[in-house]
Amino acid sequence: MNSSRSLALVSLFAALLAVFGLIPKIDLPLGVPITLQTLGVMLAGCLLGPQRALQAMLLFLVAVALGLPLLSGGRGGLGVFMAPAAGYLIGWPFGALVTGWLMTALPRATPKSAAISAFFASALGGLLVVHSMGVVGLVKIANLSWTQAFFGTLAFVPGDLLKCAVCAMVVHTVARGLPDWNFGGRALK
Amino acid sequence: MGSLYSEHRSWLHGVPAAVKLLLFALLGTAQYATHSITVLAVGAVACILLFISLGRAVLPARKLVASVLLASLLILAFHTYMQQAALGWISVLRLHSASLLGIALTLTTRTGDLLDVLERLLSPLQRIGIKTERLALQLAMMLRFTEHFFVVWKRLDEAHRLRTGKAGGLSLLAPLTIQMLTSARRVADTLEMRMGE
Repeated sequence: MNSSRSLALVSLFAALLAVFGLIPKIDLPLGVPITLQTLGVMLAGCLLGPQRALQAMLLFLVAVALGLPLLSGGRGGLGVFMAPAAGYLIGWPFGALVTGWLMTALPRATPKSAAISAFFASALGGLLVVHSMGVVGLVKIANLSWTQAFFGTLAFVPGDLLKCAVCAMVVHTVARGLPDWNFGGRALK
Repeated sequence: MGSLYSEHRSWLHGVPAAVKLLLFALLGTAQYATHSITVLAVGAVACILLFISLGRAVLPARKLVASVLLASLLILAFHTYMQQAALGWISVLRLHSASLLGIALTLTTRTGDLLDVLERLLSPLQRIGIKTERLALQLAMMLRFTEHFFVVWKRLDEAHRLRTGKAGGLSLLAPLTIQMLTSARRVADTLEMRMGE
């Protein structure tokens, strides 16, 4: 894939995350909100592949750090990286990277198999990796114990599993609608 | 899309972005070097005074400060319930100081100035072939795509309402993604013509 295409796609998925941030959030205890933005992390990993998904997340986080109110609820600036949910934010690039890497490794011969692979890739990358980093953030910033942080993050898992299913449906549609789309930098085969 | 930058001038607006970034990074890091509640409380009071000294410039960040306050209260209540009140105070004081410093920086520094500092910091990466000068272009494209997403989403939603009488919701996500991926390809082709790569 050429440099211009990378530039456009990375910017596009960073924008997708920004759009998801404008959809109202639901606040849970400990200052960690439920938002649609983790769906953007999963979609970037599944549709862009590891490297570009990582770049898209980093671009988005740079924009947030620069003060643009792109996180759900209009949050932005360096302050959000010191809040209890900072671990989740820092987990996004890693989550997108792992999702993308898994998507390239799993079977994608048909739209159906691509969708199933997308579900598992986003469950491991967008859910497991992001939540692991989130737990570390809760332990380090909110000073919770590992057990408390683990049970705290469990509240998000049902919602995030639904996001994995939505992500799989989108991948299925893209595989059917754009048969030449390179999932993770390789054509469907 | 506007940033959280405040147009109400304060004394901190006049301090160069690089200096603010360096000082706030040092102060933010220093508070993790101590576990003394007294030292952390003094630091938090200093941060609150600094924040208040910005006057009307802090108005755009009301909601952000309120969310930090809410998170702090919940953390404190949680730790108190677990009979770890001291640990709760340490977390809350650190959270307050770091958040207020970060918010103060964002309110008093233009996005462009922070971007300049960031590009300067990243410039050594150019030696290993990373094109850091494209960061500004990518940010601009990201904001342009965000607007475009809304236009396309609205168009799809209107079409869906005409057909079904209901809002599209998440069912529009798949057609929206396909339309945006196609748009991205067209933009990439244009960029390729313009930039030659």
